[in-house]
Amino acid sequence: MSFRGALRRVFDLLETLCARVLGPGWNPLVQLGALGWFFFWIVAVSGIYLYIFFDTGITGTYESIEAISRDQWWAGGILRSLHRYASIALLVTAVVHMLREYASDRMRGNHWFAWLTGLPLLLFIFVCGITGYWLVWDTLAQFVAQTTSELLDTLPIFGEPIARNFLNQASLSDRFFSLMVLIHIAAPLLMLLFMWVHISRHARSRVNPARGLGATVLGVLVALALVHPALSQAPANLDTVPATIGLDWFYLGAYPFVVNDGGAAVLWISMAVLLLLALLPWLPPARTPPAAVVSLPDCNGCGRCYADCPFDAIALAARSDGLPYLQEAVVDPGKCMSCGACVGACPTATPFRSAAEFSAGIELPYLKLTALRRELHEAAARLTGEARLIIFDCGRGAASPAYVDGSTAMVRVPCVSMVPPPVIDYVLTHKLADGVLFAGCAEDACYFRIGDRLTAERIAGTRDPSLRGRIPRSRVAVSWAGRGQGSERAADIAAFCGSLRTLPPMTRNAGTGFAAASRRPPDGWPTPLRWAGRIALLAALALPVGAFASWPAWRQLSPDHAVIRLSFNHAAKTVVECRKLTVAEMAKLKPNMRRAVGCPRARWPVSVELTLDGDLLYRGTHKPAGLWEDGPSTIFESFVAPAGRHTLDVKLRDTGRASGFDYEETINVELAEAQNFVIDFRAEQGFTFR
Amino acid sequence: MTTNLIEWRDEFSVGLPEVDHEHREMIAMINTLQLESAGGAEIASVLAALGEIHARISAHFALEEKNMTSLGYEGYPEHKADHESLLDDLRDLMDEVATSRHFDPAVLGARLSAWFVGHFSTLDARFHRRMGAQR
Repeated sequence: MSFRGALRRVFDLLETLCARVLGPGWNPLVQLGALGWFFFWIVAVSGIYLYIFFDTGITGTYESIEAISRDQWWAGGILRSLHRYASIALLVTAVVHMLREYASDRMRGNHWFAWLTGLPLLLFIFVCGITGYWLVWDTLAQFVAQTTSELLDTLPIFGEPIARNFLNQASLSDRFFSLMVLIHIAAPLLMLLFMWVHISRHARSRVNPARGLGATVLGVLVALALVHPALSQAPANLDTVPATIGLDWFYLGAYPFVVNDGGAAVLWISMAVLLLLALLPWLPPARTPPAAVVSLPDCNGCGRCYADCPFDAIALAARSDGLPYLQEAVVDPGKCMSCGACVGACPTATPFRSAAEFSAGIELPYLKLTALRRELHEAAARLTGEARLIIFDCGRGAASPAYVDGSTAMVRVPCVSMVPPPVIDYVLTHKLADGVLFAGCAEDACYFRIGDRLTAERIAGTRDPSLRGRIPRSRVAVSWAGRGQGSERAADIAAFCGSLRTLPPMTRNAGTGFAAASRRPPDGWPTPLRWAGRIALLAALALPVGAFASWPAWRQLSPDHAVIRLSFNHAAKTVVECRKLTVAEMAKLKPNMRRAVGCPRARWPVSVELTLDGDLLYRGTHKPAGLWEDGPSTIFESFVAPAGRHTLDVKLRDTGRASGFDYEETINVELAEAQNFVIDFRAEQGFTFR
Repeated sequence: MTTNLIEWRDEFSVGLPEVDHEHREMIAMINTLQLESAGGAEIASVLAALGEIHARISAHFALEEKNMTSLGYEGYPEHKADHESLLDDLRDLMDEVATSRHFDPAVLGARLSAWFVGHFSTLDARFHRRMGAQR
């Protein structure tokens, strides 16, 4: 079994579990996108509240957040916890959403757009989360600031290492911190724009979860906030290195690797994974069935296909064939998923048109209505028994069991919404069968997004084209069951067959009123048990969110150890000294470029050597920055050393001398446990030790 | 000489080209059906013609309903109900012919023409006058 197949099986099992325990309409796995939006709004609203009380200056930040958490725990404290836990829930939801789309093969073909536009959202989520942790300015924030800086410094885009902003307390300034505040506010706004782009190719996108589910999830998060509030760790102090840190493993799980294995490795692996994800829709390209085709002589521009298309693939354009209509349907093959929802909506898609070959206003080239009608007649000819049933099955949900007594026949359609209501009328009034059942994907989990809703609403008479009121609804049923819900499917079919057997011969429904067809069968569980199940399962899902938000703590520094950071930004001497140009040299220059002194810009590299108690700790040569190698050389290296008394010897060469060093200094130092000892260098001062 | 069951009359015109076009098309279909059935057409071809009329009228109503809802036409519920009942009548008629395998051309023609002319001259005229005024 392929990886994707195995993943699909896992999702089938989880979805079945959720559907059974949570009941109809509550399955979070089939509304992950909507839940993502819900968490985004929780984070946004709680964030706006926190910002009111937040001190954006680095010196007052920690106290202001402490005040929010402790002095008004009942409002700011809860909202802070909600802010954090909903952010984690958003990340988890987005990742699971992506995995589920992958497992369902909804990233290839014309799905590529939503897939590709979803990837930047993941990046935005991380940017928001990481800058959020930064703003608290506790020891975790300190770790996040230093490690993120080191991670970004591996990119060759910054003139001076960002990490130098967080060398020690003395180098700390408000400016970089204000930038973080700005990013933390701007990133979600940009993210909202991308969220809109992400769903822009989906008609009637679901951006709100079911009301009951949303309210209960919010309740569970509030409960988590009360039981296990999100609190700051010790205040940041850049002169020390926090030995153990309570890490949020969801957002910062890769950070220990940055510390242990270097930022470059993590950055390149992340980029490779992102690139792979971006290419997935074409690995290999999907063999997409051909797009729906409009037959202009049969289209009057009524717009029903346009209204029902789940993927916004149909537009109403100005009439092009000279007929006196204003509009015509136009299919965008780049968006069409060939689900056939448009065929199901077309008023001319009716099998009562008796011509052997006719075309509806819009058709699927690979399953025209005439072919479907032929298939229906062939299927009906095989049916025997007193409760003959025709099942329209999309093949993407639970398999419909074959009945040995020959009383059921299955007709395969790409999506149940492809079947126009007149087909039901045709089957029943032509006595091709005694009942019609639509066997689709699990409820709200339609592979084509809304096929179950469209079908149910057309049968219920709440959506045009509706099944005519004259057709008794007792002979029409729907069964929404995912691949893991075979027993539900079998039960649905058996129950429907059983009820068909008890019905008197079919007669026309009196009047045109619609029987109130219920969308879903009544809940089989008693209410208290159902609610207990819901709360237990949702709480179980929230448990890891609360737990791994700060546990297990990560030890970044062994006890009795300190960190030595060698970091500076120094421009070496130029390779060639400035000298006066001769008259002849000046004459060669263009008149507007003439100058008296010539100064070639290239500089020497900077070589550094550091020894600890006579043992070589570091030796390196750093090229000058810039295309012309005329910028400063930058160094940022960290070393762990045992606490205690040491002799440090540091040497630096910034000229072209063949041997020896231009600067050298030896100091005896008493390293305290968890101390952050910084060796800096400035040409005018020489080495500084803090 | 055979005469058409319904002749297009200027008063049928609602002034909207697409609506007039479909009304004319339907009248032509009904006339063809009437002529063929009077000439002893097979049941199958009568059913085929009724099926085609059913499809075209469904599309016509769908277009009208789109126009009504986009204009916020206050008579929409009444008009829509009439569409539904006309389509039910037509389906009843189709079932009667299919089940009984028999039809009386005169009765068939009379039902269809009464049906059309009645709907055109009352509800349709009211809506299309309103729509023409707004276009």
